[in-house]
Amino acid sequence: MNRLRLIIFREWYTRVRRRAFILGTLLVPILMAILVGFGVWMERAQMEENKVLVADLSGLISYWDEAREAWVPACPDCFPERSHLEYRFAEEALSDDDFLASDYTLMVLFDDGILQHQTAKYFYDKSPALSTESAVENDLSSAIERFKVKEELALNYEAYKRLKTNVRLVGEDVVTKDGNATGRTLIGFIFSFFMFIQIMVYGMHVMRGVIEEKANRIVEVVISVVKPIELMAGKIIGIGLVGVTQVLALTLLGYIVFQVGGISLEASGLLTAASNEGLELDFETWIASNDSLGFLLDVNWPLMIFASLIYFVAGFFMYASLFAAIGSAVDQESDAQYLMIPAMLPLLASYIVAAMALENPEGQVAVIGSYIPLTAPILMLIRLPLGVEWWELTGSIIGVVVTAYVLVRLSARIFRTGILMHGKKVTFRELGRWLRHD
Amino acid sequence: MRDLPALNIADIEKSFGAQCALDGVGFQVPQRGVFGLLGPNGAGKTTLLRMLNGITAPDRGSISFFGEPISREHLKSIGYLPEERGLYKSMRVGEQAMYFAQLRGMNKTDARSKLRHWFERLEVDGWWNKEVSEVSKGMAQKIQFILSVLHEPKLLILDEPLSGFDPINAQRVRDVIADLKAQGNTTILLSTHDMGSVEEMCDEVALLNHGKLVLHGAVPELREAARDGRVEVTFRDTVMEFTVALGASAELIRIEEEATVTGERRALLRLRDGTDQAEWLHWISGQVKLTSCALWQPGMREIFIQAVEHQGTDES
Repeated sequence: MNRLRLIIFREWYTRVRRRAFILGTLLVPILMAILVGFGVWMERAQMEENKVLVADLSGLISYWDEAREAWVPACPDCFPERSHLEYRFAEEALSDDDFLASDYTLMVLFDDGILQHQTAKYFYDKSPALSTESAVENDLSSAIERFKVKEELALNYEAYKRLKTNVRLVGEDVVTKDGNATGRTLIGFIFSFFMFIQIMVYGMHVMRGVIEEKANRIVEVVISVVKPIELMAGKIIGIGLVGVTQVLALTLLGYIVFQVGGISLEASGLLTAASNEGLELDFETWIASNDSLGFLLDVNWPLMIFASLIYFVAGFFMYASLFAAIGSAVDQESDAQYLMIPAMLPLLASYIVAAMALENPEGQVAVIGSYIPLTAPILMLIRLPLGVEWWELTGSIIGVVVTAYVLVRLSARIFRTGILMHGKKVTFRELGRWLRHD
Repeated sequence: MRDLPALNIADIEKSFGAQCALDGVGFQVPQRGVFGLLGPNGAGKTTLLRMLNGITAPDRGSISFFGEPISREHLKSIGYLPEERGLYKSMRVGEQAMYFAQLRGMNKTDARSKLRHWFERLEVDGWWNKEVSEVSKGMAQKIQFILSVLHEPKLLILDEPLSGFDPINAQRVRDVIADLKAQGNTTILLSTHDMGSVEEMCDEVALLNHGKLVLHGAVPELREAARDGRVEVTFRDTVMEFTVALGASAELIRIEEEATVTGERRALLRLRDGTDQAEWLHWISGQVKLTSCALWQPGMREIFIQAVEHQGTDES
């Protein structure tokens, strides 16, 4: 046990003290921002069919057309034809049941209050894509703006500026009465993405560490003192702890930014200006009252962090043991490429599905993926902020832990043989033989 | 009562797939002293050394360590310097030495004081805080050697310990081995191809070839047993004169074409069966300018080659 602790400490300490690690930790938030942007772009790239019911309760932007026997927009140009977006208008809203029974994907609801608050509510069964939300906001803004212009008798530049309208949609799931699914999906994606990066980066660290030890020929001395499985476990735990250290450092960094940012915003008086009522608010209340950020307080953070930790530990053991086995079977990193493909596939597939799940987090692929042990650590996290059944979470965690245990045992068999093998190109058949060898 | 052997290797067999690495190998390594494990490349030496270190297990046979079946518990009493050795490049020399000392079960204080002693003795003090990547190959070899002897093992396994050293550092390491031998607390198992070192340091040797034990015994006895009536002479004649004078009285095995600065040449002869050595010496002294004559004693190099070739002939 003492030797295992020594190995863990060495693996951890020699990495966290490196300048690259410290710089990398500070750069992660920047990279995250870029990659989240990429995820949003991907999400925008995928379109879905949307039929939107605009419930114009005060008849501001639509009227009853006798000829067509339907409510039509007063400004047809404001609602241009789009391939994935179709509008219908009504003077009253549908009940929840009627909405669910209808073929509408969204229902936008507003009355003349929109002229003051510039806010409309929208309802959905499945959370819409950010691109859809953005298109509806733009169209509605144009229509309301047109209405205001019509009402204004003498239009000058000052008046135009006053009439300029940006409608903000505030959504709600008709079943769960949940109003922040989009934002929380984004939180889930950030967690998933971070999990993907951590497993990938530190899994590769494990593989490189094994190859380095093997190429350096130091491994023969080490395993004359410790068992190969101790060496492998020490390496995986030590490097995994480097990942945990990075997460803790980032959490601390995030917390400091949140606190310092909050204090500065409170001190600057900006929070008062941002609130509609003109009241002075503290940072947390301001976030809660802010429609774009309020979802941050709706996320079950303790559950998210607890689940992330379990999924990281089990998921990391699962993949890192595979990478360790691959590292032990080769003499140099370039030889590892073809052996890595099968190990990387589930990980990459998880990331792709996670990116697609931004569009539809409750889609079948994401749900099934969150049950499969090799993809669950990434895909369950994207679903978790939207709420999953307890049996889904428990079953998925048990599956991942059991799979991690089995993979560690199997990888250890490959590791103990491969680590002493030099100058031999290893095939999958050979690996199979090592697995059977006692 | 005689000491228990440090190692009792009994009828060891080991195969890797269809390839037999060790085939019924058995010998004893007596306590204290230096025991040479010899053999050409691929003879099975490394496999055997790995078994002693608990890295691999035999398919059949047994190994006793000071009378007890060898187990992982004994590893803390074994020091191992493998032929293929390295150090962690991302660590400093001192912290790496401390790491290995603690892996071997030493506490920090003990490790630090012993390391200080060894670093001074092998002249690597001053390198404690240097990165391993800054250290020369010879320096790294010395550090690796220190790591194998630091915990004062009862059995020290050295696989080609002198390779990579310049003559001065090689001599330093030889001196350390000689000291350890003289102190009598450590049994040294030396695996090497350097037959000069074997003659100089080893008390006993075992020679493996194709996974089999082909020779085992004390070095002086092996050398004595390998004598086959060959005679080595030096003379001051030309090669032609010597060959003509020798005639059919003896078989000429080898003769040096080039004379030394004193005008001497050396020749190795085998006398005909039944020849009286004293009479022949008297006769040849009258024929050529003989300067010396002695019964030839083979070195470990000749014994090694002869034993390996002999086994090759037997197998074919």
